[in-house]
Amino acid sequence: MTTPHTDIVRGDLQDQKVVDYQSPLGVTQTKTVTLPGIQTQSGFTFDHVDVSYQTLGTLSPKRDNAVLVCHALSGDAHVAGLHPETGRPGWWDYHVGPGKAIDTDKLFVICPNVLGGCSGTTGPASLRPETGKPYGMSFPPVAIRDMVAVQAKLIDHLGIQRLLAVIGGSMGGMQALAWATDYPQRVQTCIPIATCISHSAMQIAFNEVGRRAILTDPDWNDGNYSEDRRPVHGLAVARMVGHVTYLSEFSMTHKFGRKRQKERDANGDKAEAAPFSVESYLHHQGQSFVKRFDPNSYLYLTKAIDQFDLFENGSQAEVLRGVRARFLVISFASDWLYPPVQSRELVRLLKRANVPVTYINLETPYGHDSFLIENPAFANVVRHYLENEHRHARN
Amino acid sequence: MHPGIYETVLRWIPEKSRVLDLGTGDGAFLARLVQTRHVTGEGVEKDSALVARCVERGLTVHQSDIADGLDQYGDSTFDFVLLLGTFQELISPAEIIRETFRVGREVIVSYSNFAHVRVRAQILFRGRTPITRSLPAPWYRTHNLHFLSLLDFQEFCRDLGVREANRACFNARGAVHFLPNFRAEEAVSLLQANSISGHSTTVERGEAKKETYQI
Repeated sequence: MTTPHTDIVRGDLQDQKVVDYQSPLGVTQTKTVTLPGIQTQSGFTFDHVDVSYQTLGTLSPKRDNAVLVCHALSGDAHVAGLHPETGRPGWWDYHVGPGKAIDTDKLFVICPNVLGGCSGTTGPASLRPETGKPYGMSFPPVAIRDMVAVQAKLIDHLGIQRLLAVIGGSMGGMQALAWATDYPQRVQTCIPIATCISHSAMQIAFNEVGRRAILTDPDWNDGNYSEDRRPVHGLAVARMVGHVTYLSEFSMTHKFGRKRQKERDANGDKAEAAPFSVESYLHHQGQSFVKRFDPNSYLYLTKAIDQFDLFENGSQAEVLRGVRARFLVISFASDWLYPPVQSRELVRLLKRANVPVTYINLETPYGHDSFLIENPAFANVVRHYLENEHRHARN
Repeated sequence: MHPGIYETVLRWIPEKSRVLDLGTGDGAFLARLVQTRHVTGEGVEKDSALVARCVERGLTVHQSDIADGLDQYGDSTFDFVLLLGTFQELISPAEIIRETFRVGREVIVSYSNFAHVRVRAQILFRGRTPITRSLPAPWYRTHNLHFLSLLDFQEFCRDLGVREANRACFNARGAVHFLPNFRAEEAVSLLQANSISGHSTTVERGEAKKETYQI
């Protein structure tokens, strides 16, 4: 049906110009709910939090078919279907929908925007109740576990005791891991994809380059920027650096090579001075990202990712002892940002703690982005695993 | 592999054992063990397409190359470790066998017999590297790195300090009891660590008669 080349030409759905894209879900709505607050790991108390989320499919009468999808750094609650205003597909529309890997005909899919995000859930751009002004840098540090604590409130609100599965890639995978360790009784299956136990120096380094670009943008103004003067240049550079780390040498060569944006100039001569395609692609990625993302959120979320350590609250044995979930761990051989060796270490520790784990390292050559693009091998594994787990849940 | 080997292994493994299948392929046999013997099974396979097939079957499977070791498993995690059709492809079979005894109590290994009469005849009369039913690939295309006879395997076990508690041998006609090193094409052995020899197991005995003379 799809060849590797159409996969990479279409790419991920987040900031692409998506031409003629059909979603079997049609237009999907995102809701916002105000939930009881939490105390963050840093000790800050939110009296209440707003959570923006999407649900797809139908919750079964026994409430045993709920799948929580956790988004990555640049994702949001709009997981699948077309956005009512922009018409854009959700970030995981390739894999969430009727008959897809996460099958909305059978499963009840929940995707909330994370705490600290900027797409409807409480974050640095939200108005602080005491002042009526945006939190900005007065927003408390956010941890992956705080995001998960807020998601647990949402699951309570939806009347769900136990999730059939928690699934997510990258930062979403960290949330899935936090779910399995912090709420062991509430997770039947945990599916962390292209993620790790804690960031390596290299991963922190790339995030720091992105943060530094924002912090040194004159318009950042200590985080107190106005709507018409945001540090868009810094954020765009951060996104460009980030995006490079999500691709692979193979995908960049096949997608861009040394192609120019224009092959011929106005005189019909070879356009030697035209920008390389990869340059204009990255500019486009940066420009489209700044329209939908808050620079302060980028700072907070990358910090949350860097700070995450599955074993920050106890020894490996203590943290993993209580885990009740079965695991499907997925990595991609070409992912150099979250290399398979990190997933293997996670798998090793889980197995040594007698947690049932299936591990697959897919050959998909498109780097870290491999879980966001159209990827039949990935979709098959997730589909079959969830089908089997769903069958177990009903028996 | 001779179907008799699978049937033998099914008999050797008691109900509800914990089984690790190294080189599990598409998981067909492991799935059979899970269904008929109700074992808690786990497979190791290096090919991601085959790992995906195991996932389809609902098996627990781990993608890795056995040659990289079994570090992901704790000591004594399994009752049985299976090496069916993979043993001769291992670069360091002795190291892997030692490692299987760290993670498991008993180990079941299958292998092709390089001292089978047709193998001997092809070398002796044709002067060629043998191609037989159990060694079907020519020398330049075989996955096997090591070629051994039943006698070699016995010596290998002695050197490693493991006991061959049971063995079943097969050729095209079925089970081989008489002159196995001459007549058997394939064999499967149940190994136990010497330190636990005499330990009671539920495995039925006496399937492989002790040969008094060996060729």
